[in-house]
Amino acid sequence: MIAMSNAGASRLVLGKDVAELERLAGWIEGFARLGMSPDVSFAVQLCLEEAVANIIMYGAAKNDALVIAVELERNCGTLVARIEDNGRQFDPTRAPPPAPAASLEEAKIGDLGIHLMRSFANGMDYERREGRNRLTLRFVEPATPSSE
Amino acid sequence: MDLSADDLAGGITKVVLRGRFDTTGAVVVELPFNKIATEKQKIIVDLSAVNFLASYGIRVLLVGAKVAKSKGGSLVIVCPDNNVAKVLKTAGMDALIPVYQTEAAAMAALIA
Repeated sequence: MIAMSNAGASRLVLGKDVAELERLAGWIEGFARLGMSPDVSFAVQLCLEEAVANIIMYGAAKNDALVIAVELERNCGTLVARIEDNGRQFDPTRAPPPAPAASLEEAKIGDLGIHLMRSFANGMDYERREGRNRLTLRFVEPATPSSE
Repeated sequence: MDLSADDLAGGITKVVLRGRFDTTGAVVVELPFNKIATEKQKIIVDLSAVNFLASYGIRVLLVGAKVAKSKGGSLVIVCPDNNVAKVLKTAGMDALIPVYQTEAAAMAALIA
């Protein structure tokens, strides 16, 4: 379900299914076509993919219905993404950074998603409110958007 | 997302990946990619037609590189797009899997 609450904001509600990530990607691409720079579009797609994939794979407690709401909003040159879910409490801003691997043999598989989110977003805040996780990511648009 | 593979000179296999290497795409190519990493010794992975890379895609590349290395082989990456290269670097993959800007350079490194 997509709802445009005003000219610069959009909201998508997703369920607990990995197939929902494809719907998320298409929705962000649609939003990006309204005037996001290619680099910010890439960063938003990467961070939201990682955040929502984490929630879908690890967020559900028992068999409870998991609902994930994603909002994108332009605000004075900053793109704000909000992800809210009713899953298990999890604060990605407190996850430790991955230790660099000394060799290919020693490299650990996984644990890169939150590190990528931290690196590609310009800001990341978390709060737990009324039994829900609420993650806010900020992306700063370049002063002069590149033209195609 | 799709995958194609060709045998080049010098016992090298070139794997071309195309599309979004996100969770959805990675699930599609994971099995055929692992099969190539298991069966081949010298592998070039061409990422020039990959326009998006997320952590699940990195996982597939890393597992493939580990499998190739474990049997004395080698896996290298060529031509990642700017933002894809930035993801690889941010994830620390550029220190674990060699990245080349041309196929010729990758072939030279694998044959050496």
